[in-house]
Amino acid sequence: MIFFFLLLVLVLIAQIAEFFIPALPWLDNAHIYIVPVIVFYGAMALPFPLMLALALYAGLLLDALTVQVIGGKVEISMGSSILLYVVLSGLMHGLRPLFARGRWEVHCILSGICTSLIVLVQYLMITFRRGSLVFTREIWWQIGGPGLIAVAMAPILFWFLQWMGRVTAYSYFPERDHFE
Amino acid sequence: MSRTNIIALLIFGAILGYFLSFGPESTRKLKAGVYQFIAPFLTGGSGLQKQITSVRTGLKSLEQLERENAALQVENRALRATNQGLRDVEHEVNRLRHALNYRERSVFKLIAAEIVTRDSSTWWRTVTINRGKRDGIETDMPVATDVGLVGKVTTVSDSISVVLLVSDENCKVAASVEGSREQGIVSGERVIAGLNPLLNLNFLSKQADLKPGQKVYTSGVGGVFPSGLLIGVVKTFRVRELDGQAQLTPAVDLSHLEDVFVVTGRK
Repeated sequence: MIFFFLLLVLVLIAQIAEFFIPALPWLDNAHIYIVPVIVFYGAMALPFPLMLALALYAGLLLDALTVQVIGGKVEISMGSSILLYVVLSGLMHGLRPLFARGRWEVHCILSGICTSLIVLVQYLMITFRRGSLVFTREIWWQIGGPGLIAVAMAPILFWFLQWMGRVTAYSYFPERDHFE
Repeated sequence: MSRTNIIALLIFGAILGYFLSFGPESTRKLKAGVYQFIAPFLTGGSGLQKQITSVRTGLKSLEQLERENAALQVENRALRATNQGLRDVEHEVNRLRHALNYRERSVFKLIAAEIVTRDSSTWWRTVTINRGKRDGIETDMPVATDVGLVGKVTTVSDSISVVLLVSDENCKVAASVEGSREQGIVSGERVIAGLNPLLNLNFLSKQADLKPGQKVYTSGVGGVFPSGLLIGVVKTFRVRELDGQAQLTPAVDLSHLEDVFVVTGRK
Protein backbone atom coordinates (compact mmCIF):
# COMPACT_ATOMS: atom_id res chain seq x y z
CA MET A 1 0.00 0.00 0.00
CA ILE A 2 2.94 2.35 0.74
CA PHE A 3 4.12 1.78 -2.81
CA PHE A 4 0.72 2.73 -4.19
CA PHE A 5 0.75 6.02 -2.25
CA LEU A 6 4.31 6.66 -3.41
CA LEU A 7 3.10 6.24 -6.99
CA LEU A 8 0.34 8.79 -6.32
CA VAL A 9 2.91 11.27 -5.02
CA LEU A 10 5.22 10.58 -7.97
CA VAL A 11 2.39 11.15 -10.44
CA LEU A 12 1.71 14.54 -8.83
CA ILE A 13 5.40 15.49 -8.87
CA ALA A 14 5.72 14.40 -12.51
CA GLN A 15 2.60 16.32 -13.47
CA ILE A 16 4.02 19.49 -11.89
CA ALA A 17 7.45 18.85 -13.44
CA GLU A 18 5.84 18.69 -16.90
CA PHE A 19 4.93 22.38 -16.49
CA PHE A 20 8.60 23.28 -16.31
CA ILE A 21 9.84 21.07 -19.12
CA PRO A 22 9.77 23.07 -22.34
CA ALA A 23 8.63 21.61 -25.64
CA LEU A 24 11.46 20.30 -27.80
CA PRO A 25 12.04 22.59 -30.79
CA TRP A 26 14.21 19.97 -32.56
CA LEU A 27 11.28 17.54 -32.40
CA ASP A 28 8.68 19.95 -33.85
CA ASN A 29 7.74 21.21 -30.37
CA ALA A 30 6.85 17.76 -29.04
CA HIS A 31 6.22 17.69 -25.30
CA ILE A 32 7.71 15.34 -22.74
CA TYR A 33 5.14 13.34 -20.78
CA ILE A 34 6.38 11.51 -17.68
CA VAL A 35 3.05 10.76 -16.00
CA PRO A 36 1.82 8.14 -18.50
CA VAL A 37 5.00 6.07 -18.04
CA ILE A 38 4.49 6.02 -14.25
CA VAL A 39 0.80 5.17 -14.64
CA PHE A 40 1.58 2.33 -17.07
CA TYR A 41 4.18 0.95 -14.71
CA GLY A 42 1.56 1.10 -11.95
CA ALA A 43 -0.85 -0.75 -14.25
CA MET A 44 1.60 -3.65 -14.39
CA ALA A 45 2.75 -3.57 -10.82
CA LEU A 46 -0.53 -2.98 -8.98
CA PRO A 47 -3.53 -5.23 -8.54
CA PHE A 48 -6.65 -4.42 -10.59
CA PRO A 49 -8.54 -2.19 -8.07
CA LEU A 50 -5.46 -0.09 -7.35
CA MET A 51 -4.71 0.15 -11.07
CA LEU A 52 -8.20 1.64 -11.50
CA ALA A 53 -7.57 4.09 -8.66
CA LEU A 54 -4.25 5.20 -10.15
CA ALA A 55 -5.81 5.70 -13.60
CA LEU A 56 -8.64 7.69 -12.02
CA TYR A 57 -6.21 9.93 -10.15
CA ALA A 58 -3.88 10.54 -13.11
CA GLY A 59 -6.76 11.10 -15.54
CA LEU A 60 -8.42 13.55 -13.19
CA LEU A 61 -5.19 15.50 -12.75
CA LEU A 62 -4.59 15.60 -16.50
CA ASP A 63 -8.12 16.80 -17.21
CA ALA A 64 -8.06 19.39 -14.44
CA LEU A 65 -4.79 20.86 -15.66
CA THR A 66 -5.31 20.76 -19.42
CA VAL A 67 -9.01 20.95 -20.30
CA GLN A 68 -10.03 24.53 -21.07
CA VAL A 69 -13.42 26.08 -20.41
CA ILE A 70 -13.86 28.76 -23.06
CA GLY A 71 -16.96 30.83 -23.52
CA GLY A 72 -19.02 28.59 -21.25
CA LYS A 73 -18.08 25.46 -23.18
CA VAL A 74 -15.80 22.59 -22.19
CA GLU A 75 -13.78 21.39 -25.15
CA ILE A 76 -12.98 17.92 -23.82
CA SER A 77 -15.34 16.75 -21.11
CA MET A 78 -13.99 16.13 -17.64
CA GLY A 79 -13.34 12.44 -17.18
CA SER A 80 -12.35 11.66 -20.75
CA SER A 81 -8.69 11.28 -19.76
CA ILE A 82 -9.72 8.95 -16.93
CA LEU A 83 -11.46 6.76 -19.47
CA LEU A 84 -8.45 6.89 -21.74
CA TYR A 85 -6.02 6.04 -18.95
CA VAL A 86 -8.12 3.15 -17.69
CA VAL A 87 -8.45 1.56 -21.14
CA LEU A 88 -4.70 1.80 -21.81
CA SER A 89 -3.81 0.77 -18.25
CA GLY A 90 -6.13 -2.21 -18.63
CA LEU A 91 -4.19 -3.20 -21.74
CA MET A 92 -0.89 -2.97 -19.84
CA HIS A 93 -2.40 -4.82 -16.89
CA GLY A 94 -3.25 -7.67 -19.23
CA LEU A 95 0.46 -8.09 -19.96
CA ARG A 96 1.31 -8.57 -16.31
CA PRO A 97 2.34 -12.21 -16.71
CA LEU A 98 5.08 -11.18 -19.16
CA PHE A 99 6.25 -8.49 -16.72
CA ALA A 100 6.31 -11.06 -13.94
CA ARG A 101 8.73 -13.12 -16.00
CA GLY A 102 11.07 -10.11 -16.09
CA ARG A 103 10.41 -9.21 -19.74
CA TRP A 104 10.24 -5.43 -19.76
CA GLU A 105 10.98 -4.56 -23.36
CA VAL A 106 7.41 -5.06 -24.60
CA HIS A 107 6.12 -2.82 -21.83
CA CYS A 108 8.67 -0.11 -22.55
CA ILE A 109 7.62 -0.01 -26.19
CA LEU A 110 3.93 -0.22 -25.27
CA SER A 111 4.36 2.68 -22.82
CA GLY A 112 5.56 4.79 -25.72
CA ILE A 113 2.74 3.69 -28.01
CA CYS A 114 0.14 4.34 -25.29
CA THR A 115 1.61 7.79 -24.53
CA SER A 116 1.31 8.71 -28.19
CA LEU A 117 -2.22 7.29 -28.21
CA ILE A 118 -3.21 9.65 -25.39
CA VAL A 119 -1.96 12.66 -27.37
CA LEU A 120 -3.60 11.31 -30.56
CA VAL A 121 -6.99 10.81 -28.89
CA GLN A 122 -6.79 14.32 -27.40
CA TYR A 123 -6.08 15.65 -30.88
CA LEU A 124 -8.97 13.73 -32.39
CA MET A 125 -11.30 15.00 -29.67
CA ILE A 126 -10.37 18.66 -30.19
CA THR A 127 -10.53 18.17 -33.96
CA PHE A 128 -14.03 16.76 -33.60
CA ARG A 129 -14.96 19.96 -31.75
CA ARG A 130 -13.07 22.46 -33.88
CA GLY A 131 -13.44 20.77 -37.27
CA SER A 132 -10.99 20.32 -40.18
CA LEU A 133 -9.05 17.13 -39.58
CA VAL A 134 -5.50 17.79 -40.72
CA PHE A 135 -2.35 15.78 -40.24
CA THR A 136 0.77 17.73 -41.04
CA ARG A 137 4.33 16.66 -40.36
CA GLU A 138 4.36 18.80 -37.20
CA ILE A 139 1.21 17.14 -35.91
CA TRP A 140 2.63 13.66 -36.47
CA TRP A 141 5.78 14.62 -34.61
CA GLN A 142 3.83 16.19 -31.76
CA ILE A 143 1.90 12.93 -31.46
CA GLY A 144 4.76 10.52 -32.08
CA GLY A 145 7.50 12.52 -30.34
CA PRO A 146 6.16 12.07 -26.78
CA GLY A 147 5.87 8.33 -27.48
CA LEU A 148 9.48 8.07 -28.65
CA ILE A 149 10.66 9.97 -25.58
CA ALA A 150 8.51 7.75 -23.37
CA VAL A 151 10.13 4.63 -24.89
CA ALA A 152 13.56 6.09 -24.11
CA MET A 153 12.53 7.09 -20.59
CA ALA A 154 10.65 3.91 -19.70
CA PRO A 155 13.61 1.60 -18.87
CA ILE A 156 15.14 4.14 -16.48
CA LEU A 157 11.80 4.98 -14.86
CA PHE A 158 10.80 1.32 -14.62
CA TRP A 159 14.13 0.48 -13.01
CA PHE A 160 13.71 3.34 -10.53
CA LEU A 161 10.15 2.34 -9.68
CA GLN A 162 11.16 -1.31 -9.34
CA TRP A 163 13.88 -0.20 -6.93
CA MET A 164 11.32 1.84 -4.99
CA GLY A 165 9.08 -1.19 -4.83
CA ARG A 166 11.92 -3.21 -3.35
CA VAL A 167 12.75 -0.49 -0.81
CA THR A 168 9.13 -0.32 0.34
CA ALA A 169 9.01 -4.15 0.46
CA TYR A 170 6.18 -4.15 -2.05
CA SER A 171 5.11 -7.65 -3.00
CA TYR A 172 4.81 -7.29 -6.75
CA PHE A 173 3.32 -10.53 -7.78
CA PRO A 174 1.72 -12.68 -5.14
CA GLU A 175 0.41 -14.72 -8.08
CA ARG A 176 3.87 -14.99 -9.68
CA ASP A 177 4.02 -18.76 -9.13
CA HIS A 178 1.05 -19.22 -11.44
CA PHE A 179 2.99 -17.68 -14.28
CA GLU A 180 6.15 -19.69 -13.88
CA MET B 1 -13.07 -11.81 -12.54
CA SER B 2 -13.05 -11.81 -8.76
CA ARG B 3 -15.75 -10.19 -6.65
CA THR B 4 -13.36 -7.49 -5.41
CA ASN B 5 -12.51 -6.52 -8.98
CA ILE B 6 -16.16 -6.30 -9.97
CA ILE B 7 -16.93 -4.06 -6.97
CA ALA B 8 -13.90 -1.90 -7.78
CA LEU B 9 -15.03 -1.63 -11.40
CA LEU B 10 -18.54 -0.62 -10.33
CA ILE B 11 -17.23 2.07 -7.97
CA PHE B 12 -14.86 3.28 -10.68
CA GLY B 13 -17.73 3.44 -13.19
CA ALA B 14 -19.85 5.47 -10.77
CA ILE B 15 -17.04 7.98 -10.12
CA LEU B 16 -16.26 8.22 -13.84
CA GLY B 17 -19.95 8.83 -14.60
CA TYR B 18 -19.97 11.58 -11.97
CA PHE B 19 -17.03 13.38 -13.61
CA LEU B 20 -18.36 12.90 -17.13
CA SER B 21 -21.56 14.65 -16.07
CA PHE B 22 -19.62 17.81 -15.11
CA GLY B 23 -20.80 20.99 -16.80
CA PRO B 24 -18.63 24.04 -17.59
CA GLU B 25 -19.10 25.62 -14.16
CA SER B 26 -18.25 22.46 -12.17
CA THR B 27 -15.25 21.87 -14.45
CA ARG B 28 -14.06 25.43 -13.88
CA LYS B 29 -14.43 25.03 -10.10
CA LEU B 30 -12.56 21.72 -10.08
CA LYS B 31 -9.80 23.18 -12.25
CA ALA B 32 -9.49 26.19 -9.94
CA GLY B 33 -9.31 23.86 -6.93
CA VAL B 34 -6.58 21.70 -8.43
CA TYR B 35 -4.59 24.77 -9.54
CA GLN B 36 -4.93 26.25 -6.06
CA PHE B 37 -3.64 22.99 -4.57
CA ILE B 38 -0.55 22.92 -6.77
CA ALA B 39 -0.01 26.72 -6.77
CA PRO B 40 2.74 26.65 -4.09
CA PHE B 41 4.65 24.01 -6.08
CA LEU B 42 4.29 25.95 -9.33
CA THR B 43 5.40 29.28 -7.85
CA GLY B 44 8.24 27.57 -5.93
CA GLY B 45 9.33 25.70 -9.04
CA SER B 46 9.20 28.87 -11.12
CA GLY B 47 11.50 30.67 -8.66
CA LEU B 48 13.91 27.76 -8.69
CA GLN B 49 13.90 27.65 -12.50
CA LYS B 50 14.76 31.38 -12.64
CA GLN B 51 17.64 30.91 -10.21
CA ILE B 52 19.04 28.02 -12.24
CA THR B 53 18.77 30.04 -15.46
CA SER B 54 20.51 32.98 -13.79
CA VAL B 55 23.38 30.79 -12.55
CA ARG B 56 23.73 29.22 -16.01
CA THR B 57 23.91 32.65 -17.65
CA GLY B 58 26.56 33.69 -15.14
CA LEU B 59 28.64 30.60 -15.88
CA LYS B 60 28.42 31.21 -19.61
CA SER B 61 29.74 34.74 -19.26
CA LEU B 62 32.58 33.51 -17.07
CA GLU B 63 33.57 31.05 -19.77
CA GLN B 64 33.54 33.82 -22.34
CA LEU B 65 35.68 35.97 -20.10
CA GLU B 66 38.16 33.16 -19.70
CA ARG B 67 38.40 32.78 -23.45
CA GLU B 68 38.88 36.50 -23.90
CA ASN B 69 41.59 36.85 -21.31
CA ALA B 70 43.29 33.72 -20.01
CA ALA B 71 45.57 35.68 -17.73
CA LEU B 72 42.75 37.17 -15.64
CA GLN B 73 43.49 37.21 -11.94
CA VAL B 74 41.15 35.56 -9.43
CA GLU B 75 40.23 38.92 -8.01
CA ASN B 76 39.31 40.27 -11.43
CA ARG B 77 37.13 37.24 -12.05
CA ALA B 78 35.32 37.81 -8.80
CA LEU B 79 34.77 41.46 -9.69
CA ARG B 80 33.43 40.58 -13.09
CA ALA B 81 31.09 38.00 -11.57
CA THR B 82 29.78 40.69 -9.25
CA ASN B 83 29.29 42.97 -12.23
CA GLN B 84 27.35 40.23 -13.97
CA GLY B 85 25.12 39.93 -10.93
CA LEU B 86 24.57 43.70 -10.96
CA ARG B 87 23.78 43.63 -14.66
CA ASP B 88 21.07 41.02 -13.93
CA VAL B 89 19.65 43.36 -11.30
CA GLU B 90 19.87 46.30 -13.71
CA HIS B 91 18.04 44.30 -16.38
CA GLU B 92 15.34 43.43 -13.86
CA VAL B 93 15.04 47.08 -12.72
CA ASN B 94 14.78 48.28 -16.33
CA ARG B 95 12.16 45.68 -17.11
CA LEU B 96 10.08 46.61 -14.08
CA ARG B 97 10.51 50.35 -14.74
CA HIS B 98 9.34 49.79 -18.30
CA ALA B 99 6.30 47.89 -17.00
CA LEU B 100 5.55 50.53 -14.38
CA ASN B 101 5.74 53.31 -16.98
CA TYR B 102 3.31 51.42 -19.16
CA ARG B 103 0.91 50.96 -16.28
CA GLU B 104 1.00 54.69 -15.52
CA ARG B 105 0.46 55.90 -19.06
CA SER B 106 -2.01 53.18 -20.10
CA VAL B 107 -5.67 54.04 -20.54
CA PHE B 108 -6.56 50.70 -18.95
CA LYS B 109 -6.70 49.67 -15.31
CA LEU B 110 -4.00 47.03 -15.05
CA ILE B 111 -2.88 44.42 -12.56
CA ALA B 112 0.75 43.38 -13.00
CA ALA B 113 1.45 39.64 -12.99
CA GLU B 114 4.39 37.36 -13.50
CA ILE B 115 4.42 34.22 -15.64
CA VAL B 116 4.76 31.16 -13.42
CA THR B 117 4.67 28.33 -15.95
CA ARG B 118 4.11 27.80 -19.65
CA ASP B 119 1.82 25.29 -21.38
CA SER B 120 2.39 21.70 -20.40
CA SER B 121 0.08 20.18 -22.98
CA THR B 122 0.43 19.72 -26.70
CA TRP B 123 -2.85 21.12 -27.96
CA TRP B 124 -3.53 24.15 -25.75
CA ARG B 125 -1.43 27.32 -25.54
CA THR B 126 -1.67 28.56 -21.98
CA VAL B 127 0.46 30.16 -19.28
CA THR B 128 -0.17 30.47 -15.57
CA ILE B 129 0.24 33.80 -13.80
CA ASN B 130 0.79 34.54 -10.12
CA ARG B 131 -2.43 36.52 -9.64
CA GLY B 132 -5.85 35.15 -8.75
CA LYS B 133 -9.24 35.84 -7.24
CA ARG B 134 -7.76 37.59 -4.24
CA ASP B 135 -6.11 40.14 -6.56
CA GLY B 136 -9.39 40.84 -8.32
CA ILE B 137 -8.83 38.63 -11.37
CA GLU B 138 -11.90 37.17 -13.07
CA THR B 139 -12.42 34.84 -15.99
CA ASP B 140 -12.40 36.34 -19.49
CA MET B 141 -10.29 39.33 -18.45
CA PRO B 142 -7.85 40.31 -21.23
CA VAL B 143 -4.13 39.99 -20.63
CA ALA B 144 -1.60 42.26 -22.33
CA THR B 145 1.91 43.67 -22.16
CA ASP B 146 3.10 47.15 -23.05
CA VAL B 147 3.62 45.81 -26.58
CA GLY B 148 0.23 44.24 -27.21
CA LEU B 149 -2.34 41.54 -26.55
CA VAL B 150 -1.33 38.27 -24.86
CA GLY B 151 -4.63 36.43 -24.32
CA LYS B 152 -7.44 36.08 -21.81
CA VAL B 153 -7.97 34.51 -18.41
CA THR B 154 -9.81 31.20 -18.48
CA THR B 155 -9.40 29.73 -14.99
CA VAL B 156 -9.02 31.62 -11.74
CA SER B 157 -8.07 30.18 -8.37
CA ASP B 158 -7.28 32.19 -5.24
CA SER B 159 -3.65 32.94 -6.04
CA ILE B 160 -3.02 31.67 -9.56
CA SER B 161 -4.76 31.98 -12.94
CA VAL B 162 -4.58 30.31 -16.31
CA VAL B 163 -4.28 32.51 -19.39
CA LEU B 164 -5.25 31.24 -22.83
CA LEU B 165 -2.77 32.77 -25.27
CA VAL B 166 -3.85 34.59 -28.38
CA SER B 167 -1.89 31.94 -30.32
CA ASP B 168 -4.38 29.25 -29.28
CA GLU B 169 -6.89 28.26 -31.94
CA ASN B 170 -9.70 28.72 -29.41
CA CYS B 171 -8.80 32.28 -28.45
CA LYS B 172 -10.88 34.31 -30.90
CA VAL B 173 -10.45 38.06 -30.96
CA ALA B 174 -12.48 40.58 -32.95
CA ALA B 175 -10.00 42.76 -34.80
CA SER B 176 -9.73 45.74 -37.10
CA VAL B 177 -6.93 46.63 -39.48
CA GLU B 178 -5.08 49.94 -39.27
CA GLY B 179 -5.74 52.24 -42.20
CA SER B 180 -8.72 50.28 -43.53
CA ARG B 181 -12.29 49.47 -42.61
CA GLU B 182 -11.58 45.77 -42.65
CA GLN B 183 -12.67 43.75 -39.62
CA GLY B 184 -12.15 40.09 -38.88
CA ILE B 185 -11.53 37.46 -36.25
CA VAL B 186 -8.02 36.64 -35.10
CA SER B 187 -7.23 33.15 -33.83
CA GLY B 188 -4.13 31.04 -33.42
CA GLU B 189 -3.15 27.89 -35.24
CA ARG B 190 -3.79 24.39 -33.96
CA VAL B 191 -0.18 23.41 -34.28
CA ILE B 192 2.78 25.70 -34.06
CA ALA B 193 5.58 25.02 -36.49
CA GLY B 194 8.87 26.38 -35.21
CA LEU B 195 9.38 28.61 -32.21
CA ASN B 196 7.28 31.60 -33.19
CA PRO B 197 3.57 31.12 -33.67
CA LEU B 198 1.59 32.95 -36.32
CA LEU B 199 -1.98 34.19 -36.04
CA ASN B 200 -4.76 34.04 -38.63
CA LEU B 201 -7.05 36.98 -39.34
CA ASN B 202 -10.12 35.42 -40.92
CA PHE B 203 -13.38 36.63 -42.44
CA LEU B 204 -11.89 39.63 -44.24
CA SER B 205 -13.42 40.75 -47.50
CA LYS B 206 -11.82 39.38 -50.67
CA GLN B 207 -10.96 42.94 -51.69
CA ALA B 208 -9.14 43.69 -48.45
CA ASP B 209 -5.68 43.51 -50.08
CA LEU B 210 -3.75 43.99 -46.85
CA LYS B 211 -0.10 44.89 -47.07
CA PRO B 212 2.71 43.43 -44.96
CA GLY B 213 3.42 45.64 -41.97
CA GLN B 214 -0.15 46.87 -41.42
CA LYS B 215 -1.06 46.75 -37.76
CA VAL B 216 -4.06 44.85 -36.43
CA TYR B 217 -5.84 46.00 -33.26
CA THR B 218 -8.65 44.65 -31.11
CA SER B 219 -11.92 46.17 -32.29
CA GLY B 220 -13.77 45.81 -29.00
CA VAL B 221 -16.61 43.84 -30.61
CA GLY B 222 -17.72 40.94 -28.43
CA GLY B 223 -17.08 42.62 -25.12
CA VAL B 224 -14.13 40.54 -23.88
CA PHE B 225 -11.23 42.56 -25.31
CA PRO B 226 -11.28 46.36 -25.16
CA SER B 227 -10.59 48.15 -28.43
CA GLY B 228 -7.16 49.51 -29.25
CA LEU B 229 -4.86 46.70 -28.10
CA LEU B 230 -2.27 45.79 -30.71
CA ILE B 231 -2.59 42.12 -31.72
CA GLY B 232 0.00 41.82 -34.44
CA VAL B 233 1.32 42.90 -37.79
CA VAL B 234 0.20 41.59 -41.18
CA LYS B 235 2.70 39.19 -42.72
CA THR B 236 0.82 37.85 -45.74
CA PHE B 237 -2.63 38.13 -47.27
CA ARG B 238 -4.45 35.62 -49.45
CA VAL B 239 -7.89 35.37 -51.00
CA ARG B 240 -9.80 32.19 -50.23
CA GLU B 241 -12.98 30.85 -51.83
CA LEU B 242 -15.33 32.82 -49.58
CA ASP B 243 -13.21 35.38 -47.77
CA GLY B 244 -9.78 36.89 -47.35
CA GLN B 245 -7.28 35.68 -44.78
CA ALA B 246 -4.20 37.38 -43.41
CA GLN B 247 -1.38 35.82 -41.46
CA LEU B 248 -0.10 37.96 -38.62
CA THR B 249 3.07 38.04 -36.61
CA PRO B 250 2.01 38.49 -32.98
CA ALA B 251 3.00 41.84 -31.48
CA VAL B 252 4.15 40.12 -28.30
CA ASP B 253 6.92 37.53 -28.27
CA LEU B 254 4.81 34.84 -26.64
CA SER B 255 7.69 32.42 -26.16
CA HIS B 256 9.65 34.83 -23.97
CA LEU B 257 6.95 36.32 -21.77
CA GLU B 258 8.02 37.36 -18.28
CA ASP B 259 5.62 40.02 -17.02
CA VAL B 260 2.08 40.69 -18.16
CA PHE B 261 -0.84 42.90 -17.17
CA VAL B 262 -4.39 41.77 -16.60
CA VAL B 263 -6.76 44.41 -17.94
CA THR B 264 -9.52 44.96 -15.40
CA GLY B 265 -11.19 47.92 -17.13
CA ARG B 266 -10.64 51.43 -18.42
CA LYS B 267 -9.37 54.28 -16.24
